[in-house]
Amino acid sequence: METLAKDLAALSKMAGLAAAVDNIDQIIEQLSRARDQVAQARDPHIASMTMTKLQNPIKLGFDKVNDSLKDVASRNKKLGKALDKSFPLEDLPADHDAMANQPALINRAIAMHLLREGQFSVASTFIDEAQDTAASHHGLYSHLDSHDDTTSPEGDVLMGEDDSSQGDVPVSMTASSSDHQDLSSLQSQELQAKFAEMYRVLQDLKARNLRPAIDWARANSAELEARGSNLEFELCKLQYVWLFLGPGVNGLPDDEYNGRSGALLYARQRFGRFQPRHLSEIQKLASALVFAPNLGQSPCRSIFTIDSAFTDVASSFTREFCSLLGLSAESPLYMAVTAGALALPYQMKFTSRTKSRGTEWTTSTELAFETPLPKRMVYHSIFVCPVAKEQTTDTNPPMMIPCGHVLAKETLQKLCKGTRFKCPYCPSEGQIKDARQIIL
Amino acid sequence: MADQEASKITHSSHLLLDQPLLRLPYELLRKNFRGAHFHFEKEASSVKNLLRDTATGSLDGKVSPDDVVKNLDTMLARMRGMKRKLSAYAEEEAHLFKQVDARVAHLRELSDMQTVEDVKYEAWSRQRLDRLLVDYLLRHGYNDSAQSLATERQMEDLVDIDTFVAMSKVRKSLENGSVQEALAWCNDNKKELRRMNSNLEFMLRCQQYVEMMRAGAELKLVEATTHAKRYIVPFSSTYPNEVRQIAGLLAYQPDTTVEPYASWYSHERWTKLADIFVDAHNKLLGLPSFPLLHIALSSGLSALKTPACHSSQATSSSQPSHSTSLTTSVCPICSTELNELARNVPYAHHTTSHVEHDLLLMPNGRVYGKRRLEEYAGKAGLPDGQFKDLVTGETFPSDKLKKVFIT
Repeated sequence: METLAKDLAALSKMAGLAAAVDNIDQIIEQLSRARDQVAQARDPHIASMTMTKLQNPIKLGFDKVNDSLKDVASRNKKLGKALDKSFPLEDLPADHDAMANQPALINRAIAMHLLREGQFSVASTFIDEAQDTAASHHGLYSHLDSHDDTTSPEGDVLMGEDDSSQGDVPVSMTASSSDHQDLSSLQSQELQAKFAEMYRVLQDLKARNLRPAIDWARANSAELEARGSNLEFELCKLQYVWLFLGPGVNGLPDDEYNGRSGALLYARQRFGRFQPRHLSEIQKLASALVFAPNLGQSPCRSIFTIDSAFTDVASSFTREFCSLLGLSAESPLYMAVTAGALALPYQMKFTSRTKSRGTEWTTSTELAFETPLPKRMVYHSIFVCPVAKEQTTDTNPPMMIPCGHVLAKETLQKLCKGTRFKCPYCPSEGQIKDARQIIL
Repeated sequence: MADQEASKITHSSHLLLDQPLLRLPYELLRKNFRGAHFHFEKEASSVKNLLRDTATGSLDGKVSPDDVVKNLDTMLARMRGMKRKLSAYAEEEAHLFKQVDARVAHLRELSDMQTVEDVKYEAWSRQRLDRLLVDYLLRHGYNDSAQSLATERQMEDLVDIDTFVAMSKVRKSLENGSVQEALAWCNDNKKELRRMNSNLEFMLRCQQYVEMMRAGAELKLVEATTHAKRYIVPFSSTYPNEVRQIAGLLAYQPDTTVEPYASWYSHERWTKLADIFVDAHNKLLGLPSFPLLHIALSSGLSALKTPACHSSQATSSSQPSHSTSLTTSVCPICSTELNELARNVPYAHHTTSHVEHDLLLMPNGRVYGKRRLEEYAGKAGLPDGQFKDLVTGETFPSDKLKKVFIT
């Protein structure tokens, strides 16, 4: 890129088409001067003289334009060479487009991405446009829309309040989802309203106003608790600290609801319900009142350094908020595209290698090559059977044998002699009935 | 460490998706130059001829001074017109160079980053996503959405709205049953289309013929025959089958059910023409034939997908909606947005296990890392020696837990 930037800088110094325009200007000047001469004299002799004299300069003028154009052509050519050198063209995989027959699902993913990014106006333009297109296709070629209508989750599910029954049941499937309905469920504004709420709360958090976040956490405390989230307490704790630091730091009015007394008041009102779980922390917070004059040297000073506290609670708020909607905290579309950019080189390397060998890889259930991703992009535990070197699946689940080692079920079946087997990793032996399926 | 390897940015291959970013303005620059050059040649030769004729005519006394002035006026008008045109081309050229500059600057930002963990990488990658989204939106003709996203993100120089809007105009006109715009485009790109062996113009001409046949009136049929003689028959050696079918069409009414004539009369041909046009357009400008987003998604979905993502049982490390906040986040493939989309792509290939440390098996068959269990027990306020299942919420005493060894 560095060299390309340098080449480009050199190229931009070269004259472009503007030079040709200047040359044309000269021709126009000569022509109009000649015109004026002939028009003034109105004399055949002068006219023919002028015209004859005009021939060469004009020809030269056109030659100059031509030269300028040649320069432009060579500049373009140089740009092309610079591109080839720094950024050689590589063919992208183009043989099959696995995504082509899923426009409805992609559109939905994009609409949800825009909503979660807070791009509400873009999202609503997009939903309108996509629906118009879908509608016009309905009208004109209604038969084209019969593509797989059976395989999309209904949008409503993701907007429904989370309830405990959803834990084990994957998102329920319903049997209708053309492009049209999918997006209209998004347009029903529920999701939009949710994300708008999220953005309002985040905005307030940014402005260091914790109340809306606390209200939300309280309203959803049952779900949060089930998730083992401390968000509500963390928020209340931060509010206590925030009040404690007093008007000098938080800029709130200096009254009885602020400062140390305000913090104490707040603690009395709110901390009661957290006592069973967070007693020790509440004690620490309360003892701060004792150390107050000289907090910096006290054992609880770490609680009161709140440099990153607001951004931390903001990100855990986003995470909890999205999780309660059944959504991941990071935009999945962003993660997928970033992962795609990282994985693409491996795919291309693999395809070029197999192509040159004449063996082509056809899409099946598993990729044929590794696509290493950074750790934070690995979301599930992955168990690869150490014997079969295969990932375990629903039909071939991991099994733990009595000695504590884990093998894939199929491996275990192959290892078995009768009902007994020997562990491939330690000297112990076991019976097949003692092996048990585990869920990683 | 392997993770470092995985998060390293290999600059040479990380920009595969970004090739059109610079290739397209380059192609447009060339096209722009061709346009300017063509226009100049045409006008220049006519001005030169007129000048020579006027000079000789004036010498021979055949052209009066008044006519000389008139001719000079014509030349001036032509030259001024040429100047206007070329100025427009020059402006376009400057605009394209500005785009190239902005794009190179954007790509250069990446060369300062060594790993994807770089704080700046996320912003860069987000911008890439926005670019891919605009590309996708434009290709589907969602022009307003594309424009508003580009404006909102202030990245007009990084996306090719004009090119695609122009394309979608032609495509729409085809979908609405008009060939004029597409024919004009063919005319503008005649040489390149010929070099590509594109059949676009031929197909458009055929469609014109079909429409004349459809109109059906006597006069139209004569017109159709003339049209066929002029535009279709010359291609009889290149596209013998089509030409034969076109000739046969004369014998069939528009409502025929006999193939292949019925499909010639079918309205779906317009959609097909639109597709042929889009293909030719993209090929001409060196654009991939389908949205870059598709390429990124199909490779990214697979790389992220695991067998657990569409598993019927909630695994211990995945948590559709009802998860614990101890695990970092809901997996993007399990998240509603992408779950269905990823259903039919292959899952990633792994040769080694990735599991938590110190795994413990609960009596209900679920396995968790020790640290996670301890943390959760602490947060749930359980007494010492008790652990709670992160998914099901059952509690077990620690002596019921068994160590699991992953080799």
